[in-house]
Amino acid sequence: MKKWMCMNCGWIYEQELGDPEGGIEPGTAWEDIPDDWKCPDCGSLKAEFDMVEI
Amino acid sequence: MTVMPRLEDLEDKSFDPFLIEKLSTGNCPDPYPRIHELRAQGPVVEGSYRKQFTDVPDVQMGHLPQVMVLGYDAVMKVLTQPEIFRNKEAFEHNLGRSFGNTITVMDAPIHTKYRKIFQKAFLPQVVAQWGETVVDPVVNRLMGEFLDRGEADLIEEFTHHYPFQVIYAQVELDPAQAPVFHKLAIAQILSSIGAPQGPEASAKLGAFFGELLAEKRRNPGTDLISHLATVEADGERLPDDVLISFLRQLMNAGGDTTYRGTSVLLTGLLTHPDQLAAVTADRSLIPQAIDEALRWEGPVSSTFRYAAVDTEIEGVPIKAGTYINTVLASANRDPRKFENPDAFDIFRSRSTRHVAFASGPHLCIGQHLARVEMTRALNAILDKLPNLRIDPDKPAPQIKGHLLRVPDHLWVKFDR
Repeated sequence: MKKWMCMNCGWIYEQELGDPEGGIEPGTAWEDIPDDWKCPDCGSLKAEFDMVEI
Repeated sequence: MTVMPRLEDLEDKSFDPFLIEKLSTGNCPDPYPRIHELRAQGPVVEGSYRKQFTDVPDVQMGHLPQVMVLGYDAVMKVLTQPEIFRNKEAFEHNLGRSFGNTITVMDAPIHTKYRKIFQKAFLPQVVAQWGETVVDPVVNRLMGEFLDRGEADLIEEFTHHYPFQVIYAQVELDPAQAPVFHKLAIAQILSSIGAPQGPEASAKLGAFFGELLAEKRRNPGTDLISHLATVEADGERLPDDVLISFLRQLMNAGGDTTYRGTSVLLTGLLTHPDQLAAVTADRSLIPQAIDEALRWEGPVSSTFRYAAVDTEIEGVPIKAGTYINTVLASANRDPRKFENPDAFDIFRSRSTRHVAFASGPHLCIGQHLARVEMTRALNAILDKLPNLRIDPDKPAPQIKGHLLRVPDHLWVKFDR
């Protein structure tokens, strides 16, 4: 399974959960997340995420 | 085949770092009433966290201007504003002396560069593979020692050893050298109380890791050290001093915290038999049990940051040059975020993240390995120790310490 992962800390974005505390509603597609959104665990920008095989 | 360098013991063979460490981290059975009192005073309170609980002097930090930051939102502000609240100055007096030029003692941009290289070796998909190949054999070997007995002290016979042995396996350490390794790893942090064995242990571990890196570069294998010794980012290898410092810290950051976290997880479940029964019956509850244990009794109660400029937290001014005791335990037990925060409840809402692994750029690099280790350990215990329960004939477990929390013993009985 492929997922978007923060390469600075390993946090994984789950589309069905979103990131409500960070203003991302559950169900939001990765492409629709704004570029200035930050990893909720370590604060890295969206650009620091890579698609990885889990 | 790797030729392992020899690890030199401390000059004073009778020195017991485990005992001294216990004395320095205190015997406080319950720091939370005091933590709640302090938080009620406001988000910023003058003084040091340590001084609230012990008279043992902090020879490295005691003379410096300090405040405590308390409560979830205030703690998050400190952890997630690294340009204001820095690590370098905060840790160069303590961890910097014990471990050396480790990433904990760095700030951006150098921290960002090295952190990413180290994190690569500890990403979830990497550490998941170690579960079966590294963690399970260690867990099974240790449990084999008491499986037939029907009773055990899960701290002394299991949790105090398994995360360290996982690291030994990753380092491919000769088992005969393990006791000295463990001793030096604990002794190196005693620089904070001025023990001469602190720098001695740091130097001896440094010499050992330096030789080991050279050997791994000559004959690389598939182990963690070989990977770190040869990994390149932007055409550059990790400098030896950064790598050796990281390996020194690995024993404490990866071994000691997981030992404490697992001990607290088992204590929480065993002292709440209904929750233990629920997890035994439904293993999909393990991740939330782990998170609740980490929130309830995080292994590290407070960490440091340094105010690089004049700033404020929730309207309270903080002067540049102030050392910030960032009280993680006060965030994890903040009643404004966690209902009935002092209760161990694996079924509580997980909508607010705990900060046991901190937050921001210095978030624990080994958190995914810690979760793998705790999951494997708990599964093995639930599988192999049927009808697991607290031994009613022995003293009840008591989690102790103001900074690094753990029970000394967890005596249990189980069916054979």
